[in-house]
Amino acid sequence: MAATLLVYAYGWRVTQIRLGELWRGAHLIRPFLSALAVPDVLTRQPDLQKAAAVFYYGGETPPPPGPGPGGPRLRLSRVTGAIGDRVVASGEGFAPSRGGILWWENQIGQRQQIGTLTTDGQGRFTQAFIAPDVQGTHNMVSAEVVRGVGPLRLSQTFFTVLDRMVETVFLALMGTTMGVLFAVPLSFLGARNLTAHIPAGGAIYWLTRSLFNLTRSIEALVLAIIFTVWVGLGPFAGVLALGVHSVASLGKLYSEAIESIDTGPIEAITATGASGLQIIRYAVVPQIVPQFIAFTIYRWDINVRFSTVIGFVGGGGIGFVLQQYINLLQWRQAATALWMIALVVVLLDYASAVVRQRIV
Amino acid sequence: MAGELAGTSPPGWPRGPIRRSVAVSDPILQIEHLSKTYPDGTQALADVSFTVAPGEFLVVIGLSGSGKSTLLRCLNRLVEPTAGTIRFQGRDVTAASPQELREIRRRIGMIFQHFNLVRRASVLTNVLAGRLGYLPPAWALANYFPPALARRAAANLDRVGIVQKVFTRAGSLSGGQQQRVGIARALIQEPALILADEPVASLDPATSHSVLRYIEELNKKDGITVLCSLHFLSLARRYGTRIIALRSGQLVFDGRPHDIDEDRFKAIYGEEAVEVEVH
Repeated sequence: MAATLLVYAYGWRVTQIRLGELWRGAHLIRPFLSALAVPDVLTRQPDLQKAAAVFYYGGETPPPPGPGPGGPRLRLSRVTGAIGDRVVASGEGFAPSRGGILWWENQIGQRQQIGTLTTDGQGRFTQAFIAPDVQGTHNMVSAEVVRGVGPLRLSQTFFTVLDRMVETVFLALMGTTMGVLFAVPLSFLGARNLTAHIPAGGAIYWLTRSLFNLTRSIEALVLAIIFTVWVGLGPFAGVLALGVHSVASLGKLYSEAIESIDTGPIEAITATGASGLQIIRYAVVPQIVPQFIAFTIYRWDINVRFSTVIGFVGGGGIGFVLQQYINLLQWRQAATALWMIALVVVLLDYASAVVRQRIV
Repeated sequence: MAGELAGTSPPGWPRGPIRRSVAVSDPILQIEHLSKTYPDGTQALADVSFTVAPGEFLVVIGLSGSGKSTLLRCLNRLVEPTAGTIRFQGRDVTAASPQELREIRRRIGMIFQHFNLVRRASVLTNVLAGRLGYLPPAWALANYFPPALARRAAANLDRVGIVQKVFTRAGSLSGGQQQRVGIARALIQEPALILADEPVASLDPATSHSVLRYIEELNKKDGITVLCSLHFLSLARRYGTRIIALRSGQLVFDGRPHDIDEDRFKAIYGEEAVEVEVH
C-alpha cells in the first residue's frame, strides 16, 4: 500500500501534473474550442466590383487607358508623381451606397490598403490618399466595392482537407495492401502447425515470429521518420511505414488464425488422396479466409486512424495540413480537418464492423 | 465383372484378372505385426495382425484409448506405423511412395467421428473434395470440378437423403446430416474399402441407426468392405459381420458377433464393465 502510494507520488512529480494549468491555460485553447462549433466548411464569396488605374513614379507617363468596358471606372487626379504626393481618386459606375477599399499595388503585385471608401447614391466616390513609399515605378491603384454576397459554397479549406483526407484513406489502403501482400505468405511460415511438417520448420517458425515481434515493437511513427529520411517527405514514406508495421501485426494475427484451424478437414482431405496443394486449397484456405478478411479490414481501420498523425512527421496525409493549421493558429481550418477525420474514422469503423459481422 | 472393375481402375492400378473376382476369399486387407508407438512413448498398437475379406462389415470395439482410432489411421497412413506391414488389395501400403500412397488412399474412403467437413464450404464442395485424389492438382487453384462430377455428387447426396441441402453450408447441418455428407464424400471416391472411425459416437441413438444403415447399405448393395469402430457392443452386434476387439493396443478378440459372451465382454472392457444397450 505504502509502496503503491510512493510510486504514484513519484509519478505525479516526474510527469509534472499541475492541474492548475488546465484553468490558467483555458483562454489559450478557447479559440480552438469555439472554432470547433464553426468549422470552415461553408462560405459566401463576396461579390466584388473592381476598377483600376495606373500611377507611375519617376516622371514617366503611363499610356492612356483604353476604352474600358461599361463597368465601373476609376480615375486619378494625376497619373504620375513621386512618393508622398497627394492624389485624389474618384470612381463612378459602382453600386450605390456601399463600402469598399482602395488598394495600392506595386510593380511586383504586392498590395497594400491605402484607404476605405463609400459610394454615394449614384455609385460615385472621391477619396484622397498619399502615394506610399514602395519599390518600383509602375504602380496601380484599384478600388473594390462589395456589391453583395454570393451564394453559400463549400470553402477552399473544405476542398483542401477533403483532398488530403482522400490521400489519407488511400495511404492507409496502400499501406495495408503492402502489409497483406507480405504477411500472407509469411504467416504460413509463422504457423507452428504447418511448419511442424517441413524440414527445419522449427527454425523457420522461430525466425518468422521473431521478425514479426521485432518489427512490431517499433512504432509506426518512428518508422515513418526513418522512411522520410530514406525516400523523402510525402505519402510514400507513410505507405512504407504503415506497410512494414502492418506486415508484423497482420502476420502475427494471420499465423494465429492458421494455428487455430480445425485439423479434422485436413485429415479428411488427406485421406481422400489429395495432394499438398489441394489440401491447402480445400481444407486450410476455407477455414482462414474469413478471419484473414476480418483482420485485414480491422487493420485498414487502424491504419486510417494512424495515417492521420503520420503527416505530423512528414509522412503525408491530412496530418500534414492539420499541423500547419495548428501552427498558424488557424483554428477554424484545424477544426474542419478534425471534423473530417472524426467523420471518416467513424464511417470506416462502422463499415468495417458491418463487413466483419457479415463474414465471421 | 472383372472387365468392369478394370475399367474403373485408375491408370497404374494392377489390371488383368483381378484377384478378388478369381478368389472371393482373397483378403482386401492384410495387417501383419502392426505396431505404433507415439513419440511420447505411448504404445497405441502392439503387434496387431488380422485380415479382412472383401465384403465384410468388420467392427472394431474396445475402450476409449484402446487403439481403435490409431489402427484405422494406420491403414491409410494418416498415422505412420512404427512397425509391421499393411497390404491393401495386394499393394504394400507401408512401403508406398507418396504418389502410390495417394493412389491407395483414393480407393479408401474415410468417415470420422466429428465428420471433419469444411464447415464454411457448401455441402456440394465437401462431397466434391472426396474426389480430389483423381483430379489434377492445378484445378484446385481455379476451384474447378467437372460438371459431370457435380452431378454425381448430387446423386450421391440423393442416396443419403439430403440432396435438397446441396448448396447449404455444411456447418449449419445437424450432426446426422453432416455425417451423411461425410458418407457421400467417401462414396464419391468409389472406394473398395471404407474406414469409419466412431461414425456415430457424436450422434443420438436414433440418428446413429440411420447413419449406420446407410453404411450398411454401401456394404451390402455396393459391396464396399467396411471397417468400422464402435463404442456400443449392441450396435456392433447389430451391424457387424465380424468383430475384432482391442485392449491396450492388443487384439483380444476376433470372431462372430454372437461369440461375445459375458466372459469375453469382461476381457475386452474390464471386470467393472456393464453392458449398455442402444436400440
